[in-house]
Amino acid sequence: MKIDLGVKLGNMPFKSPVFVASGTYGYGIETKDLSDVSQLGAIVTKSITRYPREGNPPPRIVETPSGMINSIGLANLGVEKYIENILPQKDKIGAEIITNVAGFSISDYLFVIEKLESIGAPICGYEINISCPNVEAGKMEFAVDDQLTGKLTESLRASTNKLLIIKLSPNVTDVMAIANAAYQGGADAVSAINTVFGMSINIENRKPNINTNIGGLSGPAIKPIGIANVYKISKSVDIPIIGIGGITSARDVVEYMLAGASAIQIGTANYRDVGIAKKILNDLKDYCKVNGIEKIHDITGKVKPNV
Amino acid sequence: MIFEKALVLSNKEIAIGIYEMILAAKKIADNDPFPGQFINISLSDSWLHPLRRPMSIAGFDGSNLRIIYKLFGEGTTILSNKKNGDILDLFGPVGNGFGNPDGRYPILVGGGVGLAPILWLHKLFTQKGIVHHTIIGARSMSEHFLKHAPEDNFLLATDDGSIGEKGTVMPVLRDIWKNFVNPKLYACGPELMLKAVNDFALQKTINCELSVESYMACATGICQGCIVEKSDANISESEHTYHERYSLVCINGPVYNAGEILFK
Repeated sequence: MKIDLGVKLGNMPFKSPVFVASGTYGYGIETKDLSDVSQLGAIVTKSITRYPREGNPPPRIVETPSGMINSIGLANLGVEKYIENILPQKDKIGAEIITNVAGFSISDYLFVIEKLESIGAPICGYEINISCPNVEAGKMEFAVDDQLTGKLTESLRASTNKLLIIKLSPNVTDVMAIANAAYQGGADAVSAINTVFGMSINIENRKPNINTNIGGLSGPAIKPIGIANVYKISKSVDIPIIGIGGITSARDVVEYMLAGASAIQIGTANYRDVGIAKKILNDLKDYCKVNGIEKIHDITGKVKPNV
Repeated sequence: MIFEKALVLSNKEIAIGIYEMILAAKKIADNDPFPGQFINISLSDSWLHPLRRPMSIAGFDGSNLRIIYKLFGEGTTILSNKKNGDILDLFGPVGNGFGNPDGRYPILVGGGVGLAPILWLHKLFTQKGIVHHTIIGARSMSEHFLKHAPEDNFLLATDDGSIGEKGTVMPVLRDIWKNFVNPKLYACGPELMLKAVNDFALQKTINCELSVESYMACATGICQGCIVEKSDANISESEHTYHERYSLVCINGPVYNAGEILFK
C-alpha cells in the first residue's frame, strides 16, 4: 500500500506532517551531519530577532519529571547574520525552512520579515513567536491579548505572501480567542502550543533552578495540554493547526492529528535523539499501513468525542 | 560525534556513593577521546527523564570506556542500577578536552567526582613518562578509593583529615607549586574548588586549564542551555552581541583557561 504522508497548510504542500520545533534544531545547519532531514515537512528555526541577543544568564535549563524547563532568553545571532551566515547554506540543510521570528514591538517583527522579504530569502514561511513582552504595551505579551495578536498578524500579513504561522501560548485564559484573532488577522495557520509556565526549586539552598525563576516547561509532561489546546482551537476556528508539545512517538503524532492538527512539531525529544523525527516518520508509515490509512491528512480532526 | 549502543561490562560502587562503570563502546573509543571530553548518556527508553546525562570519560582501555560518577539524584540512581549486559544509548566524545603536554611541569588537581578526567590524565602522563604531581580532594576517606602516596607524587586531601592531608586541595597546591620552575595546572572538580584554583593561578600567573560542569539539554551546540559567562576582558561593549558574553560548555568547553570564564 502506498502511503501519502503529504499535508497542506493553507495552499502550501509539505512532504510530511512531521516538522521540528523552534529552538530544538538550531538554524537547521548545525544538525546537517547528525540526522537525515530529507523527509521532514520543515525545520522551524530558532527565533530570529532584529538584533543579536546573548540571552539570559545561567542556569538556563533544568530537567523536571517527563520534561524540562528552559529560559534561554531568545539567544540568537540576529537577522543580519542570519542572512549573511546561514541562509547561503540553505541548500546544504536539505529540508524546507520556516523561520521563527520574535520581537518586542510590531516594528521589530516587521523589520525582520521585511529584511528577509527584501533579499528573497530561500525559506517557505514564518512562524511568529508571540510569547514576547511588547514594550509598547506595558510589556504585556502579544500572546495573551487577542487585540495585540490580531494587530501584529495584520501588520505581518501585509508584508509577506509567504506562509504565516502564529505560534500560540497555552498561558492564556482563552486560546480560542487568540487563535481567532490570528485567523482574522490573515494568518495561514497557527501552531500550538509554546511552552507552559513552569518553576522548579532547589530545596537545599531554596534557589529556583532557573535564573529567571519561572521558565517554559516542555516535553511529554505537557502533551495533554497541547492536545487539549489543539482540540479547542480546531472546534472553534477554521484554520490549519500545527500541534506541538511532548511528541516522542508516531502514536503521539496520530493523537495530535486526531485532535485537529494538520501537522506537528517535535521539540524536546530532539535533544535526546537528534534523529528521532525520521524514526517517527517511519513508524507513522507503519501505523498507516496497519490501519489502512492511505492519506495521513484524512485523520486530521477525526477524534470521536464524547457528547 | 559518534552515536553508539554500548554494552555495560561492569558497574560497581568503588567508594561510598561513588560508582565506576565500564562500557564496551568501540566506535567512540576508536575516535581518540582525550581527558576532559565526555559522553552523553540516555538513562533509559522511558521519557520520565528526557535529557541525557553528560559524563566525563575517566579512561579507556582498547574498546572499553570508563566513567566514574557520584550518586546525586534520580538520574545517577538509574545509572547505578544498570546491570552487566544492559545496553546504554550514548554519543561522544564531546567537548574540547585538556590540551596536550607542553613541556611545563603538570600539577593535576581533582576534587569530588571531578577526579574522573584527572585520574585519566594522571594515567596518560604516567604512561608517557611525564613526571607530574596529582592532588585529589574529597570530603572524607569513605569517598576515596585511592591511596595517599606522596612517594609517587600522588597526594590526597580530605576535609576531615581521615586520609591524606586535612583540608582542601588548596593548601597542598600552595605548598608544592613553588618547587617547580614552570608549573601548569590541570583541574576538574566542584565549582568552589575550580574558583579557588582559577584565582590562585591568576594570582601567581600560572598556566592553568579548568574543566567545568554544566547542565545540558543537547550537548551538540543547539539548545544554548549549558552556558558559562566569559570574563570581562573578552566582552564587547555592544548590547547586541551573540556568543560574546556567554560560551557553550558542550562545544566550546568543557575545558577553559584560567581567567577565561567567570566563577561566581
